[in-house]
Formats: sequence, C-alpha cells, structure tokens
Amino acid sequence: MDEWKPNPAVKPHKKRSWYLAWKYKLMNQRALRKLCQTGAVLFLLVTVIVNIKLILDTRRAAYEEEEESAQDYDDEMLNVEVPRHPVNNKKVLDVEVYSSRSKVYVAVDGTTVLEDEAREQGRGIHVIVLNQATGHVMAKRVFDTYSPHEDEAMVLFLNMVARGRILIFTIKDEGSFHLKETAKNVLKSLGSQVAPFLSWRDMWTFVGKKGGEVYGEKHAKSPALSTWGDPVLLKTEVHLTSVEDAECHWPDTELNRRRKRFCSKVEGYGSVCSCKDPTPIEFNPDPLKDNKVFDVPVAVIAGNRPNYLYRMLRSLLSAQGVNPQMITVFIDGYYEEPMDVVELFGLSGIQHTPISIKNARVSQHYKASLTATFNLFPDAKFAVVLEEDLDISVDFFSFLSQSIHLLEEDESLYCISAWNDQGYEHTAEDPSLLYRVETMPGLGWVLRKSLYKDELEPKWPTPEKLWDWDMWMRMPEQRKGRECIIPDISRSYHFGIVGLNMNGYFHEAYFKKHKFNTVPNVQLKNVESLRKENYETEIHRLLGEAEVLDHSKNPCEDSFVPDTEGRVYVMFIKMEQEADFTTWTQLAKCLHIWDLDVRGNHKGLWRLFRKKNHFLVVGVPASPYSSKKPSSVTPIYMEPPAKEEGAVAVPAVAAAEQT
Amino acid sequence: MQKINRNVVLALLSLTSLVFLLFQLCYYKFYLSQKNGAAFSKVRGSQSGQDSTRWHVVRKFLGLISSHNIPVYLIDPLILGLVAKDIGQIRSSPDGPSPECKYFCAPRDFTTFALLDKTWKHEAGLFRTAEKMGFQWLKIINKDPRLDGMDDLSGMEIPLHYIFKLASHAIHLVVFYERSGNFLWHGPLRLKQHMDRKFVPFRKLHFGRYPGAYEKPELLLVSIDDLKVQIPKNPSSFLQEMSHSRFLECRYREARAFFQLYPDDASLDAVEFRKKAKSLLHLAALTLNNLGVKFWLSSGTCLGWFRQCNVIPHSKDVDLGIFIRDYKADIIPAFQKAGLPLKHKFGKVEDSLELSFQGEDDVKLDIFFFYEEDDHIWNGGTQAKSGKKFKYLFPKFTLCWTEFVELKVHVPCETLQYVEANYGPEWKVPVKTWDWKSSPSNVQDNGVWPVDEWDDVIQIY
Repeated sequence: MDEWKPNPAVKPHKKRSWYLAWKYKLMNQRALRKLCQTGAVLFLLVTVIVNIKLILDTRRAAYEEEEESAQDYDDEMLNVEVPRHPVNNKKVLDVEVYSSRSKVYVAVDGTTVLEDEAREQGRGIHVIVLNQATGHVMAKRVFDTYSPHEDEAMVLFLNMVARGRILIFTIKDEGSFHLKETAKNVLKSLGSQVAPFLSWRDMWTFVGKKGGEVYGEKHAKSPALSTWGDPVLLKTEVHLTSVEDAECHWPDTELNRRRKRFCSKVEGYGSVCSCKDPTPIEFNPDPLKDNKVFDVPVAVIAGNRPNYLYRMLRSLLSAQGVNPQMITVFIDGYYEEPMDVVELFGLSGIQHTPISIKNARVSQHYKASLTATFNLFPDAKFAVVLEEDLDISVDFFSFLSQSIHLLEEDESLYCISAWNDQGYEHTAEDPSLLYRVETMPGLGWVLRKSLYKDELEPKWPTPEKLWDWDMWMRMPEQRKGRECIIPDISRSYHFGIVGLNMNGYFHEAYFKKHKFNTVPNVQLKNVESLRKENYETEIHRLLGEAEVLDHSKNPCEDSFVPDTEGRVYVMFIKMEQEADFTTWTQLAKCLHIWDLDVRGNHKGLWRLFRKKNHFLVVGVPASPYSSKKPSSVTPIYMEPPAKEEGAVAVPAVAAAEQT
Repeated sequence: MQKINRNVVLALLSLTSLVFLLFQLCYYKFYLSQKNGAAFSKVRGSQSGQDSTRWHVVRKFLGLISSHNIPVYLIDPLILGLVAKDIGQIRSSPDGPSPECKYFCAPRDFTTFALLDKTWKHEAGLFRTAEKMGFQWLKIINKDPRLDGMDDLSGMEIPLHYIFKLASHAIHLVVFYERSGNFLWHGPLRLKQHMDRKFVPFRKLHFGRYPGAYEKPELLLVSIDDLKVQIPKNPSSFLQEMSHSRFLECRYREARAFFQLYPDDASLDAVEFRKKAKSLLHLAALTLNNLGVKFWLSSGTCLGWFRQCNVIPHSKDVDLGIFIRDYKADIIPAFQKAGLPLKHKFGKVEDSLELSFQGEDDVKLDIFFFYEEDDHIWNGGTQAKSGKKFKYLFPKFTLCWTEFVELKVHVPCETLQYVEANYGPEWKVPVKTWDWKSSPSNVQDNGVWPVDEWDDVIQIY
C-alpha cells in the first residue's frame, strides 16, 4: 500500500521552481512585461463588458421568444374555471314533494330538481331516483299511467333501479286510470301504504328507499269524479350512506371505466349497472362479408328519451356488419342523460340547441343532423338515418348492403327504407322480398347525399314553418315521382310510445303488431327486379299468375282468401283517379293495417300477405294494371261510414311519429 | 509595493474573468435547457449518441403505432427534404439495408408524422402502451371545425395534435381530417391554460402555427435507415404544398351575426341562384386546377365567403382572381371545352386583362387578372362603350386555402384588407345596387384605350 502513496511535497516544489524561472526571465524584459500586463488588463476589461452585454442580450431574446411563443400557441379562449360545488358532507337531505292537479315539484336540500306546471303535459306519476350516497338525481321519469301500458313501463323501470337508491313519487293531474294491479303491488312492495288504493284523480307523494325504509307518504283523495284531490306537500328527511356502499367493484378495464362513470350518474338501466355479472356494453356482432355499407355514416336522431336511446343503440350495435365509428348520435337539446348513454357505448354524440317548437323543432334538428353528417363524412355518398325509438333488425346492414347499389344506380329511387307501413304480423311473410312504393316510410332509411345536398337542404322548411319533415319529404314537389324500396318484413321496429305525435293508444293500434325480422343473414330475393323497368315486368308476371278472388264476397272477411299457402291472389277495388283512395282506406281499416293516410302503393297497386298468400290489390281504373282485370269482375267499392258521433278523432297529422 | 499591487490587480482581474467565464458557461447551459425542455440538457453526450437517440425514439414510436394498427405517414419536412434528394434510390431499393443512419439521425428536435383520423379508433389503449414504453404524451384537442359552420351544434372536441416525448426527442403526430371539398385539414396547435408550456419547444414545430389544407396524398412504403415507414409518394411536391398550406376557417360566428341582422334570402330564386353559382364555381375550379392555374375568390364571391360564408344570392355572378404571371393562353379554350363560352374579353395580357364566361342561365363567371407592383396589386376594368379604363388597387396579399360551398379554394389571407379595399369600411352592409365603375372604394380612372386597339382589347361575344 505504501509504495504508491503520493508524496505531496514534490509536485508544488517543482511547479514553484518553474514559475520562478519564468518570472525571472520576464523580469529581464521589463518593457515587454509591461505591455503584456496592460494588454491583459485591457483584454480582461473588454471581456467583462462583452460578457455583460451578452447576458443582457440573451435574456432579452429569451424573454421575447417566450412572449412570442406564448402568443402564437395560446388558446384565445380562456378556460373559464367551473366553480366547484362545495363538498357536501351533510349526512341528511331535506326532501320536499308536492302533488296537485296542475303542478308538481320536488326539492332536495332546497334545490328544485323537478318542477312541472306546464298545461296539458306531464300527466301521470313522476318518479325521481336519488343516489343514496351523494343525493344527486340519477333519473327522472314520468309515466302517464292515465294511458295504457305506461304502468308496465313504470314497473320495468322500478325493477331496474338498484337496491338502496332513494325513490320519490308524485302524481300530476291523474295517475291511476291505467295503473294496474301489478304496478300497485310493486309500489306496495316499496313500502307505500296508499298505492293499492289509489283512485281517480287522487293526489299522492311518496319517498322511500328501494328495499329499505320509508321516509314519508301523503295522499289526498278525490271527493268526486269531476274534481281532483287537494294538493299535498310532503316534507321529510333522508339519511345518506357512504359512497363505497353505493358503488360496484368491477375489474378495471376500459369498458368498465365507462360503465362506472355511467352507473354512478344515472339509474334505470338495469343489468348494465348490476354489480354481479353486468350485461355487456360491447357486442362484437359477426362482420358481414362484402359489406357495402361499412363506410356509410349512421345518424341517430335523438331527443330526450335516454332509455329509448339505450335500447336503440343496443340493438344497433348488435346488428351484423355495424361499424360503430360511423355512428353519430344527434341529441336535440343539451340533455345530459342521452349523452351519458352515448358515452357508455363509446360512440360520438352531438348536441343541438333546439330551434323553433314542436314539429318545426324536430324538422330543424333533422336538417342540422343531416348536414352535420355529410360534413363529418365528406366522402360518404349515403347516410343511414335512424331514430332513437327504433329496434334495429339483426340483418339491417345486410339488407342495406344487398340493396344499396340500386339507390346509387337507379335515378327513379328516392330512398331505401327498412320499414314497411303495411307489414303487420298478419300481412307480412317473406323476409327476402322487397317492394317499390311511392310513399316514403322513414323509420330507418337511407338518404342519398346528392338528393340532400342538391335538392332537400337548400329548400328545407324554415324554422317558422311548423311542418313535419317527413310529410314535407313526401310532398310531390320534393319526391318528384320517385319511389322507395322497402322490405316486406320490416328491418326496424318502432317501440316508442311517448313522443310528439305518439301516445299509448296510437302505438297499440298502429305499431305494436308490426312485424320485425329476427332472422340473420337473409339473402334477398331477386334484387335486380327492383329496378324501374324490371319491376314492371315483375308485376306483370305476378299479375299474370295471380288467381282472381271471388269479388262477390266481403273482402273484410277472413274467408275472402282461401285457406291456402304460398299462392298469389289479386282483387280489384274501385279507384276513380290517381288520388281516389276511398275504397282502399276502408279496406285497410278492416284489414287492420295503416289507414290514416295512403302508404305502400305503387301505381295503384298494393302488395301484402293474407294467410301466407301473396295478396295484390289493384285500383281500377286508375291503375295501369287495371288491364289485367277480367271483364266479368266488378271492382269492389266500399263506402266510408257516416261520421259517428263522438268518435275520437285521431290527430290529423297521424304520420308515423318522428321523435 | 507597486509590483505587488499590479500583480494583485492582475490576479483579481483574472479571477473576475474566470468567474465570468464560469458564469457564462452556466448561463449558456441554463439557456439551452430552457429552450429545449428540461430533458434535453441532461445528457449532452457525443454527437453520435444524440443521433442514435433520435433513431431509437422513432423506431420505438413506429413499433408502438404498428402494434395498435394505426397507419401513420412521415411528413417531417427535414427528413422528407433529405429523402427527396435520394428518392430515386430509395424507391428502387425498398428493402436494402442502409449503411449509415442518414435520415432519422439528422439533428432536429422533432419527427413529425401524420395520421388520418378516420383510419383509427380513438383507443385509450395506445396511450397506456406508450406510457409503458416510457413516452410522455400530450394531446391537444379543440372544437370540430366541420360542425362550426352549423347553427348551434356542439359536438365533442376532437384531437388535433399529439406529442410523444422520450428522452431528448419528441414525436409530433398531426391528425388530419377529411373536409367537404375532398381535402385534408389539420388544426392549429393551441395550448390551453393548464397545459405545460415547456413540454417541448412548441415554437420549433413545423405544423400547428396555422391550420393547413392538403390534398389527399398518395403514399409509398419505404425502408429508410432500416425503418419501414410510409411517406408521401412525391416528397418534394408535398414539401411544396406544405409551404402554401395555410388554411383560413370561414368566420361562421360573424356570419351568423350577419344573418341575425339581415335574414337570409330563402326565396326559390335565391336557392336556384346559389345552386347555379355553386356548380359554376365547381366547374371553374375543376377547369383551372386541371390547367394548374392558381386562382382565388374575388370581389362579390370573396365578400360572400367573408361576410356570410355563402354565395350572396343577389350577386348574379361568380368572380375569380388570377395573377397575370399565372396566365395561360389555354384558359379560354379550356373553359369553352367545359361548356362555358367566352362572353367578353377586355384588355390584354400586358394590361388590364379581364375575361368573362357565360354560365348556365345568365350566371356569369368573371375572371380578373391581377398585376403586382412594388407596393400594391391591381386589376383593371374596361367600359365597353367608351373604351374607358379603370384600375382597382389592393394592398399586397398572399393566398390561403379555405372551404367554400364544398370546395377547397384560395382566398387572400389578408381578407379584411382585401374586402375593405374593394367595398370600403361599410362592407358589412348589404348593397343591392352596385356600379362597378363608381361603387368600389378602390377604383381609379386609368385613361382610355387608344381607338386603334379597341378591336383587340374590347371583345364582346
């Protein structure tokens, strides 16, 4: 170790001697030395000055640069800080619930969470669900239990609410007329004492925890049929639980994160939020081979019916060949819950500030949605237009994929629609069969971009015109004699029973029994025969082979059509000119199909099924197919019934309801 | 004593200078690190180390991207510039191993890639993998301009830029969107308040100062520096395009305010005229683009775009501007071939040239040629019956892209000055009676054509 220990004495000594020698040398040259010294001093001074200047310069440059870059890349819009609500550590909520003929309201801790005093709206039982840990409103529903089947919807909803949630009920106007036993029992099971005895025009409020305690209930009986019960106001307190108790513990995946966000905000979606074994939110249906509509954008037109939207999107995302990236949901209004549903499924949603009122609002929303769709997908030649109250058939995209080329090639086509207005359980039979019709059914249809951009968009009804967009599209000025292709069995099902032009009675009469295809991968029959000229050949062939029915019988009777299967029959009805639908309307009425306006016709010909036989109806003499009528046959004429007294007039615009 | 003093002074001065030197070094280092982001100054290794870092970061990024099946392509102007020089060689040997790292090791702070929005699903998985690989990332989102033009629609914000940072290098991923008018658009890069301004030196980014408009590129898969990467098929023309790619969004908000004041004409005539003007503009754009002639929206058409984002229904014609240096003799035959006969021709190439073509049903296409001077630009006008000449002066301007009636077209970037020069400060107020000889605020008398030239400079068909 010792041997390489450095010797500190040696080096400095050596250095010092070298220094001295050098110094001595310089001493001998005084002048030179002096010069060097002055030079050094000057040089050093200059260095100092230059240095200082450099520092100042770089600092200024850096400062300027920062300034500039900040200006270039700063967002000009300053983010406004959203004021945070102070964390509510309160363990008790004050709840106030009011029920009366013309007004209901619910206030939680002084904040009004529901207030409805609009006239002729919001009739029935209002239900509010609160989160038992935070007190936030998770769902708000109104069930018009004055009308049929709404009580079933309410039972369904209440069953879907998770245990432990706080439920608030209040009646506006009338809520008992169609409140059946089942629903009353469910309310009873929630702890209501009054529910089983609720009757005509009673007022009622109730607050309770699902599967737990009752916080309060108040009731006012209606003294007579013609009057309402007195308004009731219930004030009560609700005790909050801890957050952990109110949440599920799913494995941490991307999907479950979406699920968690959704389930902590809203209620009433049942198994999607169930802690044990929740229902999937990703479906991965089989892809379609040679899918011609994979790149076609899908616009879902929605309002504020989030539970409808949920059901609709589930069926849409389960359809074979669906491409979630092409789906955009357009929400008419700044509603949160529909947006939550959209985000749950990982789709993109766009909200639209409502313009105008009623039908015009819907119509403006349609316009904005269609324009936005073609803006977002500038390459698209078509757009699929759906509404939030439709179930989508499993072979919806397969149906479109097989037929869309017709829309591209046949100028005489206006649209392809998934809906057959006359396709009821008892009048539709063949999933592989398509028709051409002169009416635009809507309810799941394909729009050609050129039609929209060149014709419809520029002259779309303006906001002050209270028109239905679909009625407008059906007008001859727009349709210009073009036709739509529809399937015999619809590829969409209209399940909505609340809506602008819709109610329970109307739905039951016209939509409930509509046939809906559930068979996957249906191979469409003879798609080429749908082209303009080919279709005429096809119709003539059909009429040629059709057996003429016995025109002496009553066409409304079941026996009018023989008890056969798979045959083709034809009947002739009176139709004086192109717009004479008197007999047709009566026939439609007695066949229990769409009779509110004329749908499904093609040059005075209707095609449907009766008793599994193809059944053709030809209007004579207006239809060009009248020539097929044997001279011996007299076309059937059916007289419209004289106006019955007190008959309930169905809303004049009884169009298929849109949103 | 004197000697000692002097030595002391000398020593002191030396010391000061030493201190300064040290200070300078420190300051320099500090300045650098501030400029390049904290990570950049940590390792000042050898030059080759730096070079290979860049290559490694790019390789890692490409690995990340391909593991998520996201098709990106290289748009880095620096690398494409180098590639453009050797493009023939690169094309001919797509798989050959490269002897040296020539492109991806070139000194720079960023490598820029492009991503077509519609080709990927916005998966969060990508970012989780990126983090696992050591990348720090930044996402810049903003409003969707495709919905901006629409009344009262509010969509989700869309991602415009991503920056992935690893060690001393960063990847800038620019997201391109398809717009009506068959072109690609990328957004500007704007930092929101809470964002880290020092994440990377944003000023050095090649994309994002302005939004940009591009044609859809044809891509080519090449192997450079042993990395397989997609590049634009013709890098030099891409770079050319890039230098003129600045995009201006229509001022939708102002247009809405305009329509609040002056409700839009929704009559059938207006609808019809707009339809015709749109198809005429589409035809003109197609014709001129095929000839490779650069044009822009001028006069009333430009005002329509700037003021109301639409064709002014009472304007009755479509106006385009072309720099006289871009004039081609083929223009007239090309329009005639496209079904637009020449209506009149005023002036000559050397002076005040103006062409007018007859579109469908009385809709006229006017093409004004612009002459550049040192401090202004002008175009000429001619009154047919008197041979009087007029001159319309404009301040100098450059050209930007915009989207108008589903078309990608040029407008002057300095649109306000252009419109104000033409229509005066009251341009916001619609005027239905307009005299081209006296109404414009930039018109000047410019003498009279000599009578012997009339046959040439005043041609009416």
